Amino acid sequence: MSEKKFETVSSCVDDVIIHDESIDEIIKDKELSDTWGRYQLMGDIMRNDVPQTLQLDLSAKIAAAIDDEPTVLAPKNTAKSESSFKARIINFVKPLGQVAIAASAAGLMVLGVQQNNVSQTNDIAPMQNIQTNPLIGIAEPVSFNYQQPTQMSKKQAYIQQQRRLQALLFDHKQQIKLTAINTAEIKKANSPVIIPLKDKVENLPK
Amino acid sequence: MLSTSFSALAAEIEQASSWLSALSQSLKTRNFSTSFVVIKNNHAEPYHWFHGVDETGKELEILSLLNGPRRDVLRKNNIVGYIEPELPPYSVKTFQMSGGPIPAIFSGDITALEKSYNFISLGKSRVLGRSAQIIRIVSKDDNRFGYRLWLDQDSSMLLKMSVITREGNVLEQVQFTHLEFSTDLPEPLKKLQAADMPPVIDVPESTVNNDLHWKVNWLPNGFKKIRSNYHRLSITKQATEFLLFSDGLVDVSVYINKSSVNHRAAEFVMNGATGVFNQVVKGIEVSVVGKIPATTAKSIADSVSLLSFNKKR
Repeated sequence: MSEKKFETVSSCVDDVIIHDESIDEIIKDKELSDTWGRYQLMGDIMRNDVPQTLQLDLSAKIAAAIDDEPTVLAPKNTAKSESSFKARIINFVKPLGQVAIAASAAGLMVLGVQQNNVSQTNDIAPMQNIQTNPLIGIAEPVSFNYQQPTQMSKKQAYIQQQRRLQALLFDHKQQIKLTAINTAEIKKANSPVIIPLKDKVENLPK
Repeated sequence: MLSTSFSALAAEIEQASSWLSALSQSLKTRNFSTSFVVIKNNHAEPYHWFHGVDETGKELEILSLLNGPRRDVLRKNNIVGYIEPELPPYSVKTFQMSGGPIPAIFSGDITALEKSYNFISLGKSRVLGRSAQIIRIVSKDDNRFGYRLWLDQDSSMLLKMSVITREGNVLEQVQFTHLEFSTDLPEPLKKLQAADMPPVIDVPESTVNNDLHWKVNWLPNGFKKIRSNYHRLSITKQATEFLLFSDGLVDVSVYINKSSVNHRAAEFVMNGATGVFNQVVKGIEVSVVGKIPATTAKSIADSVSLLSFNKKR
């Protein structure tokens, strides 16, 4: 399993816009869909959004439920004397296709939920074209793709740039809050409101 | 002819500035429950904002972000508490809620901005189903963004606000979606009255630190140093010299530290109207953060120089 694929899953969870094919790829691949599910669960836990009863493997349950369906609906393959090879393919393809549909439906639901949370992540992130990766990364370990050193170092630089700029923006916002004291002093001098002064007296050491 | 048009302009400025005074009076003295959205980067962030004055004349205030993790600012007169996901809850002794989407100066003395900005009345419009007065706050130089406010004709309350570039592009908008005045305190504020505030943290009174090695030589007119110190950024753990400047409306942070690289080209990104500028020149990393244009941020960063020791004493 290439790390690239996990990266796609990760960026999909992070709401980065990716191609439909990538989503299809995730859905078709058992391991990737599992990874997807775990990432979503991690996200939910971090957001303190976990339901009372955890349905840990919902996608598998849906898939199993759909698996049961075609036994009623599917035409009998055994009747025809077609090559057993083709029959096997049909058998193989069918349930998988249905799993794919179910999983993509689940995928859409999750995407919808994710989109609702966009603004929250955006709050501490500079512009969209800069903001993609989370600070505590689900991004793949950088050392894995040693075949493409230039690309990796570029990506590393990109992640570092984001981290640096986000750190600055975050610190700026925090510092403003702490600085309120000082500007309030200026304000007090200018403002005719008496209440603050009275309170100030109350707070003087006795 | 010239003199009449001049006096007309003067009258307009006069009118605009009395509108702004009325706005700050409303924000300070009235009981209100409001909802608004902040629109930036193609996202909308919804907020609730309550303000009231209790029987003893003390102001109570709540500002809550409604999406994502809880991010609340609570104010009981001279104590402002912050509840946010990154840090344990804390309070600061102050009379204003800072860092919110609506500049704190709006509920303070707005006319103090007259040094750096012109106020212009732009006529009327309709916002939130009400008749609104449009006021522009325009920088006297090219180094700042402008603000456009829509104020309620009846109450002078803020109904809408835009931060716009000199070219007229809107960077950030606040649009009120609900506004209600009451004679009683709004319900959430009554709860706040009974609630305990998070522990007050100490911010050193003497906020100007003289042990810094760097100074900023150029800032747009009207900017004053608010405080400076030496601290670590909480995310990257980078130790840095820090200076904070304000012109009353806009806060600008300057960060200066040694870098591991010798040179890095200037980077500038924006989150709404807030720009983050960063560059490394001769091994020194300088960053400027605030609601200012990229060119202003670069000029500030380029003006940073080493304090000579004899000057520093």
